[in-house]
This record gives sequence, C-alpha cells and structure tokens, in this order.
Amino acid sequence: MLGKQWLNRYASTDMRGTAIERSQNRQRKLDGVITWYFDHVMESLPLMLQIALLLLGLALSRYLWEVNIIVACVVLGVTSFGVIFYIFIVIAGTAYESCPYQTPMARILRYTFYCIYLYTPRPVHIIISHLIQVSWCCQLPSGWWSSLGQPWYSMANITTSLTCIAILPVALLVDVSRLVPETVWSLLQHQPMDPSPQVHILDKQTIELDLRCISWILQMSLDKTVHLSTLKHLRQQMSTPTKFDPAIVTYCFDVFIGCISVNGCEVVVMQGLEQLTTVSALCLFCTLSHLWVMDSTSSALGDVRHRYSKIFPANVSFHGHQFSHTMNAIHKVFIQSVKHQHFTWGHYKPPGDEHTLVAHALLKLAQFKYQTTGQVKVSRLILRFALHSLSLDPLPPAPVIADCLSIIAIDLDCDISNTRAVTLDERSVNTP
Amino acid sequence: MEKISNLITEKVKTMAEAEDYHPLRSKRKAITTLLPYAVLQEQNGKPEMFQAFLHAARASKEWELTWHRTWKYIRRLPQKASPHALVLASPHVRWYLLTDSGDLVQKWAAAASSVPYTEEVGQSVVDVLLQIVEEGVLVSHIPTEMWSWLIRQPSLPPVCYGRLVGSQTHVFRAVRGLKDIEVLKSYLLLVWSEWGYIQDGNSFNEMCVLIWKYFSGTGMGNYRAELIQKLDYILGQLDWGLDHLKQHNPWLGRYDLWRMKGQYKKLREVLLEVERCVSSQIFHFSIY
Repeated sequence: MLGKQWLNRYASTDMRGTAIERSQNRQRKLDGVITWYFDHVMESLPLMLQIALLLLGLALSRYLWEVNIIVACVVLGVTSFGVIFYIFIVIAGTAYESCPYQTPMARILRYTFYCIYLYTPRPVHIIISHLIQVSWCCQLPSGWWSSLGQPWYSMANITTSLTCIAILPVALLVDVSRLVPETVWSLLQHQPMDPSPQVHILDKQTIELDLRCISWILQMSLDKTVHLSTLKHLRQQMSTPTKFDPAIVTYCFDVFIGCISVNGCEVVVMQGLEQLTTVSALCLFCTLSHLWVMDSTSSALGDVRHRYSKIFPANVSFHGHQFSHTMNAIHKVFIQSVKHQHFTWGHYKPPGDEHTLVAHALLKLAQFKYQTTGQVKVSRLILRFALHSLSLDPLPPAPVIADCLSIIAIDLDCDISNTRAVTLDERSVNTP
Repeated sequence: MEKISNLITEKVKTMAEAEDYHPLRSKRKAITTLLPYAVLQEQNGKPEMFQAFLHAARASKEWELTWHRTWKYIRRLPQKASPHALVLASPHVRWYLLTDSGDLVQKWAAAASSVPYTEEVGQSVVDVLLQIVEEGVLVSHIPTEMWSWLIRQPSLPPVCYGRLVGSQTHVFRAVRGLKDIEVLKSYLLLVWSEWGYIQDGNSFNEMCVLIWKYFSGTGMGNYRAELIQKLDYILGQLDWGLDHLKQHNPWLGRYDLWRMKGQYKKLREVLLEVERCVSSQIFHFSIY
C-alpha cells in the first residue's frame, strides 16, 4: 500500500506554474527516485511479502505438527510446492532473460554469473563446457526427456523415469570420480594467455533478436535515413547464417523499389537515394539467397518473385549502377529465361566485407540449386564470379577464397558437408 | 580452406585417372576456374592442385579444355606464376584470343629458356610454339632460339591444340622460312603422325614440293631415311585400325583414317621417288 502511495505521488502532475517549473518539479522527483534507490525499495516490498508468507507457512507447519500431523503435512506440502515453484522461476529467470517470470533473486544471480563469466579465462570456459557435455548427470536428463513417449502416464515412461532417478546418484558418483581429476589436470595444464584484442562473437540468439528488430523497424518506419542505418546493420548481421523472418526479404525489396523507377528497360535511381539503393540491393540479394537455402518453399519468396517479374521486364538493364552486379545475379535467378551471356564481373572490385557477403550469398545460391534440383552444375554466372575473384590482384579476403573454392567443389560434386563449417559458420562479427 | 582445396585436388585427380573422360569435359569450366588458385598454390610450394589440373587437361583428350573466360587472367599469368608453371600452363591458353599479347609471348619464351628440359616441358613448349605460330601476328615476337626446341623432337600428346594447328599453311611456311633443314625435318617428324591428317590441302601440296626442293640432295640420305622410317611407322599404326587409334584420340573417324592413309602413302611415294632419282643420278655420275 505504501508503494502505491509513493507511485501515486510520483505520477501526480502539478497543474500550476509554467512549463519550465513543472518540468523542473518532474526532474526533481526523478532525481529523488534515483538518489533514494526507489526501484530497489519497490522491488524489496513484494520480496518481503514473499519472505513473510514463507515464514508463516513454516511456522504454521511447525505449530500444526504438534496439533495434527495430517493437517501439518497438507500445509507443509502447499508451502513446499510454493518454495519449489519459486526456485523454478528463479532458475528460469536466471537462465533466460526473456522469461517473463523475473524475480529480484534471478536478477542478482544473473549478474553474478555474468561477472564470473567475464572474469574467467576463456580456456576455463572451454573446460567447463566440455565437462557439461561429457558428464553423465547432464546427459541423463536429456536422454530421459527425449525417450518420453505418448501418453505421458504410460508404463514405459514411468519405468524410464524411475530408472533415471535411481541411476542419477550413481551417475553423479561416476562423474565426480571421472571428471574431477580430469578437470584438475586440465586446469593445471592451462597456461595464462597473452592479453590479445578481444573479438566479440555475436551468438546466434543475439543475431536472431537483432534480425527481428530489423524486420520490425523496416515494417514500421517510412524514414529513408532509418532504412539506411537499419539495412547497414542488416548487412553486417547477414555474414552469420541464422534464421530470420522471411518477411524481411519483402521489406528489403520494398525499400529497393521505393528508391528506383523503371522506365522501359532502364532503371533510374531517385536523387539522393543512391547509397540506400545499393545497400538495399545487397541486403535483398543476401536475404534472398539465405532464404532460398533455409526455406525454399517460403511464401515470401513467391511473393517477391511475382512482384519482381511484374516490375522488371526480362531485358531490364541495371548497367551503370553500383548495384548492377547484385541485381543482375537476382535477375538471373528470378527470370530463368535470361541467359546473361554478356554479363561479366570484370569491373567488380568491392570492399572486402561486401565481397565476402556476395561470395557467401552466391555459394548459398549454388547450394540451393544443388539441394533442390539435384543439379550439380553451378550456374555460369556464379562460376564466373569465382574465377573473377580468384584472379583478382591482390587476392580477396580468405572467406571469399574459401567460398569460391566451395562453389567449385559443389560444381565438381565433392562432398563438402564436413568442410562447410569452415566457410559458413566460422565467421566472427565485430560488435560496434 | 586447406580441406576444401585438398578435396578438390583429390576429386580432379580421381576424374583424371578414370577411364571415362566425359565428366572432365562436362566439368571443364570448374576445373579451369581452379587455375588461378592452383598457380598460386604452386608458387607457395604446393603443386598438387596444379599437377591435378595438368593431369585433367591431358586426360580430357579435349583440344581446348580451358574456359575462354580465363583470358583476362592469362594476361597476368607471367606475373602470377613461376616460370615452370607458366610453361606448363601455356598449352592451355587460348592464344588466338591474345593476338595483341606480344609481351606475353616474350615472357613465355624467357620462362621456357629458364626451365630445365624434361619431356613434359618440351611437349608444352613445342605445343605452344605451334599455337603461337598459327597466329600469324605473334610470330615476330618469338625469339629465333625457340625454334631449336623442335630439334629436340618431344612427342606431342595425341590430342593437343598444337597438333591440330601444327600442319596449317601459316605454320608450315613459317618453319620453311627459317631455311634450317634440321628444324624442317624435326617439324615434319612432329606433325606427321597417326593422330591426324594434314588438314590444310595447300600445306600438303607444299610439303610434297618441299621434299623435292630440300631433301633431294645427295647428302640428304639420312634425312630421307628418317622421314621414310617415320612414315612407315605411321602407316603401320594405321593398319591396326580405327578402334586401336580411338583409344588415344577419340576424335578420329573413318574419314580421318582414310585421309591419313592417302596422305602418308603419297608422302612416302614422293620420298621414295626422290630416293630413286638421287640413286639414279649417283649411278649416272659413277658411270661417267
């Protein structure tokens, strides 16, 4: 009730005085909130209630135990259930930031774990993650979960669950006897590494979150400047293969279409939108190629293809524009009848990061064709790109060379499933 | 990258070693695309991919395995490749697309002179020499000493572009223009083969005239004997039949066999006629 009173006081607006006086008043209140740790106090109120409830439950159980054991057991059961539920939501809240059942305890724990993670050397992380992977205690629950069948109350499920519970202490003992010496030995062998510039590698979850944000911004915003900065960010994110909302392809296409006009076979870029057009074309190319590989049946692909063929005639010319190479590649895929015999990569010398993106996108296209149609032959356009890139002086970055070799390997029908990781997944993205 | 590179090298090697050469032909664009990287690797002391490329080019039994799109890269080949790689890769260059590259010819010649002689190097140099001469505009850029490579008489592969164009009138006239009997004899021994007939009719007629003109001297007996021996060998090989020859040169047909037999018999007759005339002249001289 106190908290409600305080909040009412904070939210109340003073109707008297000038705008400056009223805003000064608001600012003073806000400063007070920060100085007096208002948020911490507000958080502690429900915590105190929870502690009080727990104490009540425990005291009541203790009291009833001497009066009537059965009634005490019921109260104890309810209290235990509450405690277990609370522990569960604390663990869930600590493990997943997006979990809506957040508690102050989860916040504290997450911060503590983050600090430990931050100040622990990387080899120790590797050792710990290896331990988690090989420990029986971790493998047992995941094995149990995957072995569960329908219905959940079936005899097989019950037997498996009971066996699991019985084996768990044994697994714990085995893990302790097996992994503790190994861990100690690994830690003793660990040499402190020289401090080197740390490369932040964005994890897939963060990239997926970013991509969802990008999708939302592109959908909601009409501002070209916002589009440009968003697409630049998207271009950066696309170097790591992740799942994304297929609608993002449509949004990129919309941005591109919004920057140009088609007069017959000529494409004219609106004044001042040259950079946005180039970036959106590149993003469209990357997202399209990615989606072709990840989900070739996506309705977004069909939609974009349909709209593309309506807007651009088969003999459209992108010549003279910075995006001509990327759009020609898209055109070749959308308008299958176009041979593009005279299309060359001759003057294509993009900056390293763009080259990497395009090489990667073309590799995906080659893979897509290989996976869907079983067609081993890679399009000449893509092979010409590989030849052009490998002939460049100076040589392009290593990922481009790796992608070009992968393209050749696909055309030669080599099994690159084991080596794909080198080109596709081992990419680091520097966080700004 | 290393893994993919090894994988590709192994694949190309396997394709080259297989009896069926059709996959190599259908994948010629991909194999050609490897060339820049293979050359780079060769220069870095890893010649496996480059060797695999050369092996594939030979095994494909294709006149021109390389993709014409490489011509831009080929112009920069002397800067990118070691002399050895340049010499071995040159037969797979489409020289007719580089008619304005006189400097490339000179660099190739310089590279060839700096590489120690082996049968493979000799084959490549002679193959390229014939290709360059076929492009009339490039002849003037060939240093004179390069012609001496013909005297070494390396055996050209059954299917190579140099062999295809080697008996053209351009080439024949260029060799004849040197007025070096040794080079001329070596040239004839090289282009006369069981793997193809002399496609240019003018060239064939001029060869017959040339035999009378240059090889009818009394001191030319050894040369004539060598040429007749070569023709006997060729006719003997042709008698084995088409199936035998097709194992090495799948492009041969019945018409080719018929033309070859006709041409080489005719050349042999001319040489024997010359031999008879020379013998009778000697006989007359000895009587008088």
